[in-house]
Amino acid sequence: MGKKRKHSETEVAVPPKKDTIAAERPKRTLLGWKDKNEEVNKESDSIVFRNKEKVLVTCSRRINYRYRHLMLNVVSLLPHCKKDNKVESKASKGTTLNELVELKGGNSCLFFECRKHKDLYLWMAKCPNGPSVKFLVNAVHTMEELKLTGNHLKGSRPILTFSDNFDKDAHWKLLKEMIIQIFGIPKDHRKSKPYHDHVFVFSIVDDHIWFRNYQIAVPHIEADKVARGGLENMTLVEVGPRFCLNPIKIFGGSFGGPTLYENPFYISPNQIRALEKRKKAGKYAKKVKAKTRRKMHELSNPLEPDEFAEMWKE
Amino acid sequence: MGVPNKELVLSDEGRMEDEEIEDFNGDASESESDSDEAGDVKLSEPSKNSIFNRNGLLDKLGDISWPENVGWIHKLTVDIKQEQEVDVNDDLAREVAFYTQALEGTRQAFEKLQSMGIPFLRPSDYYAEMVKTDSHMGKVKGRLLAEKKKIEEAEERRKARESKRLSKEIQAQKLKERAKQKKEDIESVKKWRKQRQQSGFAGGEKDTEMSLPFEDGKVFERSNKKRPGVSPGDRSGGKARQGVGNKMKQKKRESRNSKFGAGGRKGLKKQNTAETTNDFRAYNKGGDTGNKKRKR
Repeated sequence: MGKKRKHSETEVAVPPKKDTIAAERPKRTLLGWKDKNEEVNKESDSIVFRNKEKVLVTCSRRINYRYRHLMLNVVSLLPHCKKDNKVESKASKGTTLNELVELKGGNSCLFFECRKHKDLYLWMAKCPNGPSVKFLVNAVHTMEELKLTGNHLKGSRPILTFSDNFDKDAHWKLLKEMIIQIFGIPKDHRKSKPYHDHVFVFSIVDDHIWFRNYQIAVPHIEADKVARGGLENMTLVEVGPRFCLNPIKIFGGSFGGPTLYENPFYISPNQIRALEKRKKAGKYAKKVKAKTRRKMHELSNPLEPDEFAEMWKE
Repeated sequence: MGVPNKELVLSDEGRMEDEEIEDFNGDASESESDSDEAGDVKLSEPSKNSIFNRNGLLDKLGDISWPENVGWIHKLTVDIKQEQEVDVNDDLAREVAFYTQALEGTRQAFEKLQSMGIPFLRPSDYYAEMVKTDSHMGKVKGRLLAEKKKIEEAEERRKARESKRLSKEIQAQKLKERAKQKKEDIESVKKWRKQRQQSGFAGGEKDTEMSLPFEDGKVFERSNKKRPGVSPGDRSGGKARQGVGNKMKQKKRESRNSKFGAGGRKGLKKQNTAETTNDFRAYNKGGDTGNKKRKR
């Protein structure tokens, strides 16, 4: 990259106040006290990077109980998110959501859309003009399942692991970046907890993104050193939730805009159900057809009269 | 697999078309279409018209990504190489793959964190709000304990069955042995008597002969119990019935007991009592033939 771009979510260091009144006071910047003779170059490399990511999490009306619990689980996992009320309206949901995000001062959004009480679509978007992705969510297991026995600090920063096929193609790279920004908790966020005791797994299998969340259990005595040989005895316990994302489309704008990517393998669940129904629907017609066919066949190939047919007739 | 449609038209404006429905009547790889399960039906051939705007994607990526010199500590990402192609439908293999990915990732991350010198492990006295409530963890614990108990009970039942079978066999053997021993003893005494008879009751110095029956060394020993046959709760110490073992008297006592004991016999005194009023056990023999379904 030739020039540095100004990004909406990075905060630059506090600009020096061009304070003409108190001219003698040295300017205070994040990098220390500076005399007003020196001009601090904002574009210098020693800028402190602050992750000011804020996610808005909402859902559509008529959402299923299971998906609502999934949404609540996600809310509890991400302390830098804000949960908002249900969003109505199919038609103008793009604009509504963009406005909502702006209102709350966020810069990304996770929108859980449940259609027909059966299918869950997840929209991941960077607002105001970032790309957005629509996923179909499968295989949902929430944290409330008793088989998922792990537990971790609420708001502790996770370690994000990605499988290496995220770097294979452009759309995966874009998705990886969005996931890092949305699911990674900002450092020094006021609701985040200090230690790292859980790990997120994002891996691409069969063109789906699978998500897992594990608690890390490693024997240790001090807070900053693993016990000797402890890395070998590390165990992971699953905390949940679990879900599987199937990317449908990637748009250039937030909740709309030009389509940048379409998943060629995707069939909507409506089409799947329609297929099944169609398979079953033709049963009677097929039976009737088969009967007539058999009749025609019998007519055209008459059986020879059996020589023993009259044998037992008196 | 990856994305196989490198030959598709790259267009900047979206031209969306639905996938052909006739394509996958025969082709579609069937897995469960139940939305709870992981498998959903996929086209086996990619639709020809889907859009893939690589340049646009990379542009957007550049737009949103953070500056390059952002320290690792902000991202906390680890990339793990996937060793082998995992079959989606094999649940166990899939989960194992995820687990190994997570394990490998944490190892690398912890090494980095340790080298940075940042505290990253939770001390044992750090109590803070957890993502699952204590009551929920209590339920989890209860379930785990219940499962463990079920397994243990099944084990114990199995062991008890085995040991019962074993002990039955052992007891059968013991009884057989005892019977055999008894027979042998009797036989040996008989033999000895015969021998004695035959040798004409010669003197009694023939210890060797006499000792034959007792060759196994077991002389009759009185049992060690001081007061045999006394139950612990017997305050008279077994002396109560010592002189009472008279047969005649026992018989008399028994017959008297049956006539007058515990309130005595009913005789023909009372036949209709509260208990017998509704007792129809003697009646209705064969009265249930006929239509049972008819309401009575």
